[in-house]
Amino acid sequence: MATETDAGTARSPIRVDLALLNRIERLSDTQFVYLMLTPVLVLLGSMAIWPLIDTFGMSLHADNIMSSDATGEFVGFENYVQMLTGQANALLPRPFLDLSAPLTSAVTVTLIFTVIAVGFEMVLGFGMALVLDKNFRGRRWVRVALILPWAVPIVIQGMIYYLIFTPGVGFAVDPLQGLGLISGAPLADSWSSLLIVIVSDIWKQSAFMALLILAGLQSIDRDLYNVAKVTGATKLQEFRTITFPLVLPTLLIALLFRTIAALKVYGTVVTIANCNTLPTLTCLVVTTWNANRYASAATIAFIMAAVIALALVGYLWKLRDLEYGGL
Amino acid sequence: MCVFHMTDETTSNGRSIGRRRFVRAVGATGVAAGLAGCSGNGDGGDGGDGGDGGDGGGGSTGTSTSGGDGGSSGGTTVEMIAHDEWANVQDQINELLHENGMSDDITIEMNTVGQTTDDQQAQYRQWLSAGRTTPDIMIFDSGWTIPFLVRGQLLNLEETLPQDLLDRVHEDYFDASVNSATGPNGDLYAFPIYPDFPTIQYRKDLVQDAGYDWEQYATDPMTWEQFSVELKDVYEQSDVEYGFNTQHVAAEQLSCCVFNEYLTSYGGAFFGNPEENLYQNIGERPVTVNEEPVVKSLQMARTLVHGNDAPHTLDNIAGNISPEAVAQWDVEGARAPFTSGNAVALRNWPYSIAISGTEENLGDTQGVMPMPYGVPEGEGNYPGTGGSTAALGGWHVGVNPNSEKVDAVIEMLQAMQTDEFQKANFGLVGWMPPVPEVLQDSTDVEIMGNHVETLAYAGQHSIARPVTVLWPQEADAIEQSANSALQSGGNPTQEMDNLADRLTAIENDFEG
Repeated sequence: MATETDAGTARSPIRVDLALLNRIERLSDTQFVYLMLTPVLVLLGSMAIWPLIDTFGMSLHADNIMSSDATGEFVGFENYVQMLTGQANALLPRPFLDLSAPLTSAVTVTLIFTVIAVGFEMVLGFGMALVLDKNFRGRRWVRVALILPWAVPIVIQGMIYYLIFTPGVGFAVDPLQGLGLISGAPLADSWSSLLIVIVSDIWKQSAFMALLILAGLQSIDRDLYNVAKVTGATKLQEFRTITFPLVLPTLLIALLFRTIAALKVYGTVVTIANCNTLPTLTCLVVTTWNANRYASAATIAFIMAAVIALALVGYLWKLRDLEYGGL
Repeated sequence: MCVFHMTDETTSNGRSIGRRRFVRAVGATGVAAGLAGCSGNGDGGDGGDGGDGGDGGGGSTGTSTSGGDGGSSGGTTVEMIAHDEWANVQDQINELLHENGMSDDITIEMNTVGQTTDDQQAQYRQWLSAGRTTPDIMIFDSGWTIPFLVRGQLLNLEETLPQDLLDRVHEDYFDASVNSATGPNGDLYAFPIYPDFPTIQYRKDLVQDAGYDWEQYATDPMTWEQFSVELKDVYEQSDVEYGFNTQHVAAEQLSCCVFNEYLTSYGGAFFGNPEENLYQNIGERPVTVNEEPVVKSLQMARTLVHGNDAPHTLDNIAGNISPEAVAQWDVEGARAPFTSGNAVALRNWPYSIAISGTEENLGDTQGVMPMPYGVPEGEGNYPGTGGSTAALGGWHVGVNPNSEKVDAVIEMLQAMQTDEFQKANFGLVGWMPPVPEVLQDSTDVEIMGNHVETLAYAGQHSIARPVTVLWPQEADAIEQSANSALQSGGNPTQEMDNLADRLTAIENDFEG
């Protein structure tokens, strides 16, 4: 030890680890945060951002189905132009956007699904959360029961609905057909399939919505309600002035998650119906890819990513306005 | 679930100490977590690897067994991607190959890939594009072999195999199978393992009780008119739930097969003369899906489902014998009720004969006959159309052009072409021999052996799907239009006109 100290005072042998630690200690707070984030950023960069850039690169090339190369020559933004103007529709498994056939074109099917499903999930989830926020006997069991559908894997969920709506197997076809809601072969009919897939999504995802909103509700200071009571506010006023504004940031986060997931819907569609009957955007990416048109598939995928990014920015913007978002 | 606990002192103490402790703490917890196996992803990954490990274990056992057999240390192991049916009994398949002439020091090590034929196709495309030397051989769907060979991703067997083996394939194998493995230059690129042809499977007991004898049609098919009328009578006299089960789902099953059978048996075609245009002349061949025979075949099929009173149906066909659910049925949906005895007849592939024919299901009461026809053989609009038509299915062996074990592969193919191997394989896993004579000679095979005459007839009257590099796209369009035309509100004429426009657009876009 003594010799080491002597040597240290004379001329320190460079201890790399100590030098590094000293360097870390001298970093400012911001620099330190970014240093700690570096591994995550490297991972994200290699697993999320690089594939995204690569996909974008593919989308700038022509399709190539004749040789072993994945794509053909560089064509710039031609794929995007053709996709967005509808010129590519005839070559795709189903049209990208065709307003004359809303139930069989990818953008319209995806939007209809997203708006209706997420809308119902929000209303139902809010309702469930308000009930669960109350104190009553057996509340724990009710919570478990409500969360169960959410724990069911997508493929099992798909099989459940597939079987319910398979004529001769499930119970739902005859009565619903009698009411004129669905056709006799519902999973071969775009309208019936859309309805069924939406219902299955609501069945599964409302609980997720409810859980998130419940967390928001429980973080509200109970004293506020006492004040409301003292001042004689009605239940509706209570909701409008206390509950809703305070739970709104959580609600927006929940909506954000659900909207993104709904825009990407694929698993339930292929397990319940199929991509020919109900062509969502992800379906279109997969079927175009399977037809070996990699560049077109990449184009649709990238447009989809852009749409999702827009939705994301929209929600984050709203959250920032609310000042609760922590941004 | 592992949680990292950080003590408060890390932050409350001085900054520098905090950071050192932080780094150390994170490092230590990371190690501890790693040791405790807390990483959820790691576990998942191990699970996935476990499957592969199992296969690897099987392979190594195989090697040591062959060592025990006195096998040489310099033996060759050929890596093959196969189906479960073969991979599960690979020791027996290897034994069969050895018995039929493959050297004892060659071992075929089989693995499977993906759950569906689409997965398989995508995986092959990745491997072959990457120029890998393994797997050496892969099992290829006859429905998508051609796009691979056109892209130069399969070894040209015409230049590789000995002449006697090539002659055997060209002269003795089912023509339609060989054609689906042949390039535009006429060379063979894949080696058929087994063909697959749909037939009509029916309940002999119900048919006999109603006073009919369909066994006389085992190799002499009926017209759709006679079939539907007699079936309706049988259906009405019996108490089963369904009459005729088939598959109208908007999927490959319809475009490649069910619809292809309908239109060809009425004398129509997708792209004009199938003998010239089935696999080539993209962009120049005519699109003929809106011609009268095709539309008429759809009207016939509509009648089976919706009855004579529905629009766009035929009067001479007996209706309401197929449930409306056929619009969403694929092979299994249609088969299940038949196997359990709840339908008069079923259109399905040979695997279904084997399942329904077991003692606990229909046993000896199952009959098999070829598909009915619309117009007599040879009276269609194009050569090779009209008459009973069975869609071509089945699988081939394709050789990786970069394989370093081609000599061993040739020995394997030599063994596979023998009558003995094909018969034994038929008995072992149920794959039909790809040589009609061998098939007809396999009457001793359980269940399937009773129907080899019908199966051979179907094989000699089969039609392939028009597989080109455009087929995946065209198939989507075809199955969507055919499915719409067959649903209750469908209009075959209009749907086929739309389909013709779409197919023309796809064909015209092609720059080859």
